[in-house]
Amino acid sequence: MGKEEPRIGVFVCYCGVNIGGVVNVPDVVKYAKTLPNVSYSEGNIYTCSEAGLASLKKAIKEHSLNRVIVASCTPRTHEPLFRSACREAGLNHYLFEMANIREQCSWVHAHRQEKATKKAKDIVRMAVARATWLEPHDEPELEIKDTSLVVGGGIAGMTAALTLADQGFKTYLVEKEPELGGNLRGLHKLYPTMQDTRDILEPIVKSVKANKLIEVLTSTLVSDVKGYVGNFKVTLSSNNEKKDVEVGTIIVACGAKNYTPPKGLYQYGVFPNIMTQLELDALLREEKIKKPPERVVMIQCVGARKGEIRAVDLAGFPKSDTARLLAKILKAKKEEGWPYCSKICCMNAIKNAILVKDKFPQTDVIILYGDVRVYKEYEDFYSMARESQVKFIKHIEEVTPEIAQEPEGKLTVTAYDALSGQELRLPCDWVVLSTPLIPHKEEVLLARMLKIPISSDGFLMEAHVKLRPVDTQTDGIFLAGAGSGPKDVPESIVSAKAAAARAGTLMANKKMRTEALTSVVDEDKCIGCGLCEEICTYGAHYLEDAKSHTIAALCRGCGACAAECPRRAISMQHFTDEQVLAMVKAALTEES
Amino acid sequence: MQEAKVEAEFEPTILAFCCNWCSYAGADLAGTSRFEYPTNVRIIRVMCSGRLDPTFVLSAFRWGADGVLITGCHPGDCHYVQGNYMMERRFAFLKEALTHLGIEPERLKLEWISAGEGEKFAALIRDATQRIKQLGPNPLKAT
Amino acid sequence: MAEKTVMVIGGGIAGIQASLDLAGRGYKVYLVEKSPSIGGRMAQLDKTFPTMDCSMCILAPKMIDCSHHHNVELVTYSEVKGVKGSPGNFVVTVLRKPRFVDETKCTGCGICAEHCPVEVPNEFDEMLGMRKAIYMPFPQAVPRAMTVDKINCIECGLCQKMCQAGAVDLKQEPKEVDLNVGAIIVAVGFDLFDSTQIPTYGYGRYKNVVTALELERLLCASGPTGGHLIRPSDGKIPRAIAFIQCVGSRDRRFGTTYCSSICCKYSVKDAALIKEHEPNTTVSIFYIDMRAFGKGFQEFVNRAKSEYGVRFVRSSPGEIKEDLGTKDLTIWYEDTVAGRIESSKFDLVVLCPALVPRSDARELAKLLGAQVDEYGFFKAADILTGPVDTTVPGIFVCGYALGPKTGDIPDSIMQGSATAARVAEVLERV
Repeated sequence: MGKEEPRIGVFVCYCGVNIGGVVNVPDVVKYAKTLPNVSYSEGNIYTCSEAGLASLKKAIKEHSLNRVIVASCTPRTHEPLFRSACREAGLNHYLFEMANIREQCSWVHAHRQEKATKKAKDIVRMAVARATWLEPHDEPELEIKDTSLVVGGGIAGMTAALTLADQGFKTYLVEKEPELGGNLRGLHKLYPTMQDTRDILEPIVKSVKANKLIEVLTSTLVSDVKGYVGNFKVTLSSNNEKKDVEVGTIIVACGAKNYTPPKGLYQYGVFPNIMTQLELDALLREEKIKKPPERVVMIQCVGARKGEIRAVDLAGFPKSDTARLLAKILKAKKEEGWPYCSKICCMNAIKNAILVKDKFPQTDVIILYGDVRVYKEYEDFYSMARESQVKFIKHIEEVTPEIAQEPEGKLTVTAYDALSGQELRLPCDWVVLSTPLIPHKEEVLLARMLKIPISSDGFLMEAHVKLRPVDTQTDGIFLAGAGSGPKDVPESIVSAKAAAARAGTLMANKKMRTEALTSVVDEDKCIGCGLCEEICTYGAHYLEDAKSHTIAALCRGCGACAAECPRRAISMQHFTDEQVLAMVKAALTEES
Repeated sequence: MQEAKVEAEFEPTILAFCCNWCSYAGADLAGTSRFEYPTNVRIIRVMCSGRLDPTFVLSAFRWGADGVLITGCHPGDCHYVQGNYMMERRFAFLKEALTHLGIEPERLKLEWISAGEGEKFAALIRDATQRIKQLGPNPLKAT
Repeated sequence: MAEKTVMVIGGGIAGIQASLDLAGRGYKVYLVEKSPSIGGRMAQLDKTFPTMDCSMCILAPKMIDCSHHHNVELVTYSEVKGVKGSPGNFVVTVLRKPRFVDETKCTGCGICAEHCPVEVPNEFDEMLGMRKAIYMPFPQAVPRAMTVDKINCIECGLCQKMCQAGAVDLKQEPKEVDLNVGAIIVAVGFDLFDSTQIPTYGYGRYKNVVTALELERLLCASGPTGGHLIRPSDGKIPRAIAFIQCVGSRDRRFGTTYCSSICCKYSVKDAALIKEHEPNTTVSIFYIDMRAFGKGFQEFVNRAKSEYGVRFVRSSPGEIKEDLGTKDLTIWYEDTVAGRIESSKFDLVVLCPALVPRSDARELAKLLGAQVDEYGFFKAADILTGPVDTTVPGIFVCGYALGPKTGDIPDSIMQGSATAARVAEVLERV
């Protein structure tokens, strides 16, 4: 317990109607006041607003509060904001606690209002119990090295490296292939300008290689990462040789790859002349094609947008074909694929369609689609394609088009036109499958090393999908390019510049403060068994004179040593046994 | 399931220890996605599942918890590298300890939940609430 | 020194992000905003797709960071009037419009507004709600100070009398200041296409035809109806709502041939929100292509269809007719999938208009000497090598001021950060 008598203030947020619409906030405010050591409680419409924060700071001063609890959203978003308000009111920010009554209460119990209110009260009671045991702490200062590591030498990685170098930071650019360039190396032309990819790629590769601040390491993989923000120790391996580098920040630009359909899907790999867009792209680069196709059929969303086939609204379909369609849909197995939309395939197909028409003006090009997702000013590109006589047919996506082989190397695509309900039989020469960008397998290994979570679509997860699109939840590690989700070239470039900006801001400051969540050894209880030294991943414990000591700058606050110590000689600052047990007791008993 | 009237009135109190980096974030995601689940769980955030001293769990049962959930990062993904492995070792011991104390070991569950698994978290709570309702109140509560 | 000073024009999310990234590395930032508060469009939204985060909740901390950061100076209720100079040494003339309230003294208590006798439509609420002549545009405004709308003020002096802090100063004069900065970032955002240009949709004549931004204000808890979804004509809860996509977008008649990139997504979000508020209300979305790309979005649309029961009709409706008595609306459309011409009755129709450049964007571009593209958005120097550079060295642009190549909020934020990197690159070399 702290040396002073705790005077706890509880601030319960309505969060507009997010909490207030489910939880009876005035009730919770009243209840909070009845809890032991609570000197003051109030409700705020938006505690995070200027008004809310002003009220918070005023109350701290007026009521001499020495512990503050805000019952609102998850600490993972607003804890820094409220901690800063506490500091401004003269309170050490480790005397602040949050009670999550939104993400973990009102938002998941929208139809159980009475029980949600009771739960909110319990959560507040638990927070009060913990707050009673909170103590002030000082934060150690970390040095931030002004060197960065960019993993991945594609367009995003190279852009990030150049942006970092232009800000004056030495950067290691690591690429697993023998050459820089990533996916762009395999591409022929880029939309919408139809520039030759080589004309864009070569100058950038040249700039990267010429830049004195960028050290390029091709045929190199990241094999181990230790350390933390400002002080990462990365082991790079190349042809069985290892090299260790120390960097302050890491930007992950590992990109994504094109999905290759498994053999048999749409007869890929079974019949000839069925190819992916990437393969078509390579084909179009060749000067002479032996037999120009008379008709090319492109099929969109192969292996993408494959969520469960839900009940189709059959009332929309013309009656004549309904029965046949229904039978087909019900018989259809769930088509293999990824649930998301890969964003760039519509534009990519249109680009290739226009290239085909340019090369073979007599060729009929048909694109079978569910929705044409050309956004931004690319709409004009779509118009241009239609003006070049590229045909766009909306087909009923729930029914997988069938491909049949015909004599003389020809194919027939059978699909259902969504607008007329009619069955379409399209004899053609080439079938081109538009497939999504999918995560690299290696990305999972990288993600593990860097502690980046993976979202449900398999891509790297950013810290907040709206507000922190290039940050990860680990300080000092940023994301650029398609590794966090499908992007086209301009988007990859912007995200890389943003990641380099964020990394640059961190490194420009040269120092930062870290959490005081470190272990503390009670030497009187310590028996010098050395278990803590053995298990600490970060080497933060060492034995001297038969007693354990903590190196605060190395301790990351996991608490394993505290849990393993046979004599309970180690406690974790800000996550002490007393604090956790107080919450457990408060959760289970009305009295604490 | 509609069991006997007595069980229908019993609302278990379940404690869930969630690690800051994975499972607590997963629980938040369940909230952001509005995946609803019963109100019986009370979440305690720790930085790592490896922080959990076995006595935290035993105290929870001693003080009347009907069920305890321990959640952490998937093996290999622990933010602190091996904290979750240490928790897994303790878990085996805890299951035995509970049996010796006369508490059904099924009341304690260990689940790995990542920051991206909101639905999994919600499903865990729904399932745990259902199961523990059927088991009935913590046998220690009678004493 | 000018070399370590930057001006950001526009206090929306893009401008805020750029300001914070620059301030965080030691640059002094003047964040200039035309309206009384920073926040921009994001402050007007209820929830953001697809996470359904409360928009103000995720925006407010960033707004407050700006107001508290020792390196950021908020220059609100101000306009850029002139620019001279070159990278490393620009002189920008800024007109500080008089608020008639001393920001340093005002506590935002609101007593003045309570007593003000003049009520006028609130621009922030898209004219759906009212405000007084002395007002705060929204409760979480930053800076937290009142502003007097002198045009509608009748100069009764009641506000000055009631103010306990002595903050009202009805004699304030406009002030022009010259600010010396090393670089400029444009982040002025967008306006909505004027839907009255499509008379067959009845916007402006039929009370129950609203734009999506007006709908956001109706859904927002801090909006004119306290978050209760009621329709403008009679306050009834609408039981059948229609969304019409691409109003003015992809439309050669108006030159706005581009796709605005976000309307499909926000309409599905709004549909899901409406179903959460009122599960018995039917929601139909009239679309041409459902452009639900981006992280988690296809999955969100699937959920909207199956769990929320939102109806998707592939059609660009021809005409909306109003019943003069009930003010209900009938939409006549061709259901392209069913191949029939139909009509359906709705209580409320929401138009999703194209996002167009701000009416004052061209003037600002002229002042800066920057080029605009054929749609009037600030032109990027080069999509690949200079995506956030304007055609003027030392002047950068981010957010929807660039037009629809900015997708949605994360893109605006990334561009904001990218301009910060560009500023650092350019000014380190000067």
